[in-house]
Formats: sequence, structure tokens, C-alpha cells
Amino acid sequence: MSRTITMGAALREALLEEMERDPRVFIMGEDVGAMGGVFGVTHGLQKRFGKKRVIDTPISEMFIVGGGVGAAITGLRPVVELQFADFLYNAADEVLAKMAKWRYMHGGNVTVPMVLRLPAGAMGGVGAEHSQCPEAMLLQAPGLHVVVPSTPRDAKGLLKSAIRNDNPVCFFEHKAMYQITGEVPDEEYTIPLGTADIKHEGRDVSIITWGRMAHIAMSVAEAAKKRDISVEVVDVRCLQPLDLETILRSVRKTGRVIISHEASKTGGAGAEIAALIAENALEALQGPIRRVCGPDAPIPQSQHLEKLWLPNSGDLLQAVEEAMR
Amino acid sequence: MGMTRELKLAIYSKMFLAQRWETTLLRLIEQGMVSGIYHAGRGHEGAEVGAVMALRDDDYLFYDHRGCAHIIAKGVDLVALYGDFLGNCSGSTHGLGAGIVHVCDPARGIMGQSGTLGRGQLLAAGAALSAYLRETDQVAMHFFGDGAANVGTFHEAANVAGAWKLPLVFVVQNNGWAVSVPVSHATGGGGFARRADAYGMAGVMVDGSDAFAVYAAAAEAVARARRGDGATIIEAKVTRMRGHFEGDAEKYRPSKAERDDAATDPVLITRNRLLAEAILSEDALQALEADIQQKLESALRQAKQADMPTRARIFDGIYV
Repeated sequence: MSRTITMGAALREALLEEMERDPRVFIMGEDVGAMGGVFGVTHGLQKRFGKKRVIDTPISEMFIVGGGVGAAITGLRPVVELQFADFLYNAADEVLAKMAKWRYMHGGNVTVPMVLRLPAGAMGGVGAEHSQCPEAMLLQAPGLHVVVPSTPRDAKGLLKSAIRNDNPVCFFEHKAMYQITGEVPDEEYTIPLGTADIKHEGRDVSIITWGRMAHIAMSVAEAAKKRDISVEVVDVRCLQPLDLETILRSVRKTGRVIISHEASKTGGAGAEIAALIAENALEALQGPIRRVCGPDAPIPQSQHLEKLWLPNSGDLLQAVEEAMR
Repeated sequence: MGMTRELKLAIYSKMFLAQRWETTLLRLIEQGMVSGIYHAGRGHEGAEVGAVMALRDDDYLFYDHRGCAHIIAKGVDLVALYGDFLGNCSGSTHGLGAGIVHVCDPARGIMGQSGTLGRGQLLAAGAALSAYLRETDQVAMHFFGDGAANVGTFHEAANVAGAWKLPLVFVVQNNGWAVSVPVSHATGGGGFARRADAYGMAGVMVDGSDAFAVYAAAAEAVARARRGDGATIIEAKVTRMRGHFEGDAEKYRPSKAERDDAATDPVLITRNRLLAEAILSEDALQALEADIQQKLESALRQAKQADMPTRARIFDGIYV
């Protein structure tokens, strides 16, 4: 049996269930306690678990992550939150060096079992510093896992796995998706990290995508059907570990590839996936790899321009048609 | 405050061990057997050993790059320590560490070192928070210099430590030099210990060449932390007797000949006190020192026998 709930509610269920399951799990971040988070994800958790398990921090991003690492190597399993994923830059050393490398640098003598939740993406005109999808920067930090779910079901199952994982996990949640709804199983389940999901099967073109763009890809797959084009949507769900096998299987089936993400195109994670496809399955390609991504421009504050900044279904459908020409 | 004869002797033994250990390391560096850069701790032994001796085995230590007296005092395995500097498989990091090491031994509470300055303050505060949340009476101690005290991380860590009364002890080793920049140029105000008041921590200034005074200050800070009465900043004034790193030409400060480092040499001072207080005779001290020397030689011999890692080591342990 299943229910239809929002992604925010699905994430909250994952947190609640894991906190009940394991007393070592605690939450720390800005406004996560009494307020329940600026996006409401931790709503009610402090009331339920108390102030020692849901901790409001000062505005101190370096401490939120670095303090989380200190707690993780001393027996706890922190789920810490940066209020906006853009704040990764405020705590870059803590994320890229301490979270990612403390275990490795210290010879594997400690583990860093922590999750860093990262509300990302453009929504609501919050401007150039509160709207980014900075997932690609994390791929340069071996030691981290990087998760980018697109549905309530995936978000819950992947967050539960992330909390149980003994490695540090960066978990992106697109802010425009907290209110989207979807089916979530009633019973206990987890989704292993590093497994892509074919969200829509097709024969002609593969759209390799994640996060919010997966929803746009689904709508494009429906629109393409009317033009007799069969689109396959591969939702990678995790960028590290990356399920390259599923990606390559789809590429070999369709021979046409579009990679789509919301982050700016240059230096985005799509570039890495394009390179991997070229390295491993160039012979299967019937045409060039295409990318439909955010433009190489800061995200404007104005909601009018923000909307025009975002890659949309028109851009993606056009790329599908070009690929079929 | 009454320090037992045994405790005073234990403190000196660790200080002598650390100083002799460093001497043997410098010889290995001269012989080209250590890769990377070493930041000698000569002159810091009193602060590092004195403070760490106030900790229990299960208390957490986040150390700094200035010598190894703090981790030696916490009981690091000497073969593993040599192995880390030799970069071979007998090291605690199984071949990764050399120069600035990342010795880690959670069983002894040795939790590691941040290569980037200041960030250890955050991890130590996190470990102290962890002890508080788990309702143990463990304490986290973190060493850093007057240079790292000026990193922004200090503010974020000290702020939560004060606000939440965390069981944390910061030991600021003020040797007056952040690499080449004198503390008088880099820092205003009346010293690092005085910052404590503004953060809601206790602050104490101590002469780092007096290991027993450092111990007394640390014991008080640790007791305060254990009772849940909050964090302390101990500022220990010390002398950096060698360069910032081995090979530093030190053109920015008076030469060794122009300085009087012996006047603040904690190892010498502590040794003289043992004699003056008739805790041990000269003969007995020499016997103790010879014993330590022998222990070191045997550990080094053993460490030298280990293999160097293969390329496969690079990829080992990135993920659990």
C-alpha cells in the first residue's frame, strides 16, 4: 500500500523513522528546531525528540559542518543542514576537506557517518547566492557521496540509506520540489545509493538527468510521444556513486544522448557524464551528445528573469527533436 | 595544589621523550628519510605535555602541527609515530603520513589534525558537543597557535562552546610568531585568554615553560569541563626554539645567538626543578633518560623494518 505525500513530508518521515531507529542520529542546523526549518522539513521533530536531538545553531556554517564531523568521529550520526546549498562555499573546507577526507587522511582509523542536507535550486527569486545547484564541485572531493533525488519516494528511501551509510553523504533537495506530491510506500523501505532509475522507458533518445530536471524530462517524454519519438528518462539519483552501467545500457539502446541539469552548463556534472559516455560507449552514438543545462550566468534575483534563466521543457524538447534529425 | 612526585616525574619523562624523539626525527630528516615538511616543537614541550597529562585516555585530543609532544603525552605508539614520518606501513596511517602527520588513534583519544589552520577548533567543539549529547563526562582538548587563533573558525567554535557550555579546552600556544609575522602585528587586544570573557568561557594565561603550571591550569579547565561548567581558553606563552619549519632561514627574527632560548627551555627548566625539589638525583635522572633513549632506539629500529606502501595504498580507505 502507498500514500500520496509531499517531498517535504517524505523527507520528514525519513528523518523521524531513522531518529527512532537509532538514538545516535541527531539534527543540527539553522532554524531547524522551534521553527522546523525555513522549508518546514524538520517541522515537529524538536517537539518529538527534544532539544538535544534537534539543535538550532548560531549562523555558523563552518561549525555546522565541522562540528558535525567532530560529532561523527566520536560516535554520533549527525544529519546537519546548510539552510541553502549555496552555503557550501561558506563551509567549503569543512565539506571538501574535513567531511570528505578526515577518514582517509587519518588512515581509515575513524569513520565520518554524517549527512549534509542541502536545499538547492532556483525558486522564488532568492537571487544569485541562494539559488544554485552546486553539486558538481563535490565530485572533486573523493570520500563524499552525492545524492540528488527527484521524487518523494526516492527522497525518503535515499535519505534513510544516507543516514545508515558510514560515509559522509551530501544530500541535495530542490527547493521547488518540497511541495510536489508522489506515491510513497506505507511500509519500511530504503533505496541503495548509486542506483539510477529509469523513470520513463524509451527507444530513441536517452535523457540523463536528476533532481528537478527529471520532472521536466518526464513531461518532455510525454510530449515527444505525440511526435512519435520514444524518450527514455534516466534519473541518476546519485552522482557519487554514479550508476554508469544503467546510463551506458540506455545509451547503447537509444544511441542518442541528452544530458540535462539545472546547474550552469560549464563545469557541471553533465560534462563528466558526457566524458564517461564518450570514453565507454562512443561507438554506440548516432550523433553528438547534447546538453540542456542552466546558462553560464548568475541567477538573477527578479522572478521574471529567474524563470527565463531556468532550462525548460521547450529547450529540452527542441534538443530531442534535433537529436532525431 | 599538590602535585605528586610521580606526576611530576611522569610529566618530565614525557617531555624528555618528546624532545629526544624530535632529535631522532631531525636526524632522519637530515638523512633524507622523511618526506614533507616538519614543524619542530622544541620549546613547546611544557605546554603540550603539561596540558595533555590532565586528560584521561578517553578524552579527545585534536593536536596541532607544532611538534609531537602532545600526542606522545597522550600515549601514541612510538613505532607507529616513526612509521608515519618514514611513510611506511608501520605508521598509524599505514603509509599515508609523512612530514606533517595525521596520526590517529581513537582508542587513545587521538582524533587527528587539521592540515588547514583553525578548522580543528570546529571539530573539537563538535567532539565536545558529542560528549555532551551522549551524556558522558569526556572532554575535548585542542591545541593551536597564535596564528590559527586568528582564523574565523575560532569565532564560530568559541561562540558555541561558550553559548552551550561545552566540555572543551582550547590551548593557544602563543610563541609570538605566525610563521614570520609577529603576534604584535597580527593581533590586537590584551592576549588570547582575554577573549574568553566575551565568549562566556574561562580564560587563563600561563607560562608555557613551566610544565607544572600548565598542568595545574589544564587540570582546573578539564575539571570545569567535566562538571558541565563550560569551556576554557588556556593561553600558554612559549618559545619557538627552531624555525617555523625545518629549513626556515628565519631572516625575520633575531638569530639564535641573539636570543636566550635556554631561559625558557621547558625541558631544561623542568629537569632542574626535579633536581632542586630533590625528586630525583642526577644519577637517577640520567638512568631514566638513558632508558627513554633506549626505548626510542628500539622503536625506530622496529619502524625502519616495515615496507613502503605500494600504489594500491592511494585508493584504500577513501570509502568505508
